[in-house]
Amino acid sequence: MDAAHQTMRSLVRKAFVASLPVLTGYTTMGFAAGLLLALQDGTAASALWAALTSAFFVSGPLQYLLVDWVREGTPYMATVVLTICLNIRYSLYGLSLLDRFKAASVPKRLYMIGTVTDETYALQTQCPWPAGLKSTRYCLFLALFDHLYWVVGVTAGALAGIFAQGIFSRARVASCTKGIDFAMTALFLVILVDQMRSKTNRIPAVIGLTASALVFGGLSYFRGFAAAKGSMLIPSMVLIVCVFLAVRTYLDPERKGAAA
Amino acid sequence: MNANGHYLLGLLVAVGLVSYLLRALPFILFGSGRKPPAVIRYIGGQLAPAVIAMLVVYCFADCLKNGCLSTPLHGGAELAAAALTIALHLWRGNPLLSIACGTALYMYLVA
Repeated sequence: MDAAHQTMRSLVRKAFVASLPVLTGYTTMGFAAGLLLALQDGTAASALWAALTSAFFVSGPLQYLLVDWVREGTPYMATVVLTICLNIRYSLYGLSLLDRFKAASVPKRLYMIGTVTDETYALQTQCPWPAGLKSTRYCLFLALFDHLYWVVGVTAGALAGIFAQGIFSRARVASCTKGIDFAMTALFLVILVDQMRSKTNRIPAVIGLTASALVFGGLSYFRGFAAAKGSMLIPSMVLIVCVFLAVRTYLDPERKGAAA
Repeated sequence: MNANGHYLLGLLVAVGLVSYLLRALPFILFGSGRKPPAVIRYIGGQLAPAVIAMLVVYCFADCLKNGCLSTPLHGGAELAAAALTIALHLWRGNPLLSIACGTALYMYLVA
């Protein structure tokens, strides 16, 4: 084997080892999301939808929300606004990856751009090489491994759900898995706890909690829980952004720096 | 394709496209070293924890909608499972452990 081959192999191995912590998390959480989708959709096509949505959304929260959206028939507008609010941070991540991805060919760059997640980004910024061909290749394999774990996990979960419903009856599976949808609540609680470990995230989290609770409370008072839950997302996000703009002098790290 | 299929196809296109464009935005706009406007940097940096907090409220709104207050535990199952999830996560910091135990407790309580 020639030297170039050997360096390539060691680079791929390095990327794989670095991605191992993500392997368990993505496959397990993906499996549960796929299972929930199959239980909700109830058709054999769930596996196809699981594979396609996980490949293109590349997001845990969105994958879980998908199940709720299908159940409720949430308007596309609300799903798009929520996607923007959840994923706008990836635009900021991208800024620090501009140089790292420069050496990649266009198709590879397009793929790496589309597969950035919190975990993949964290691993890519830890890349042991300075920006250049090696670093780009390493980042590409990280993206590929993480993406693969997620798609395989979600699709396997959906297949498991389909097979379970085929072997037993749909009603039987539904009664055995009753309450499993709490996994979505638990996922958001866990993400929130992790974010609140960083002091700068605490005020934004409290703003989000208060604003959305007020919106839900207000809507429930006038229209009942069901209508309030279905229509709370957009007004909550508008209120959150308005509060952020109102308190910018206190919260914006760049403004605080300028004032000091 | 059934009604779910049509809805899912629309979601796949809408959410998939917006997801991709958001990730691609800096590469499209700021490839030449320009920075996004300060207000976008500010909002973008603060939004994630606020939206996740909103989604927690959204999940509990779903429980209220499904009538969790009129169950035998009067919403106690949701609160107990959430408390266990948070406590485990503060203690051990292992996402899978916290989510699995919280969900298992909830499934046990509502079974």
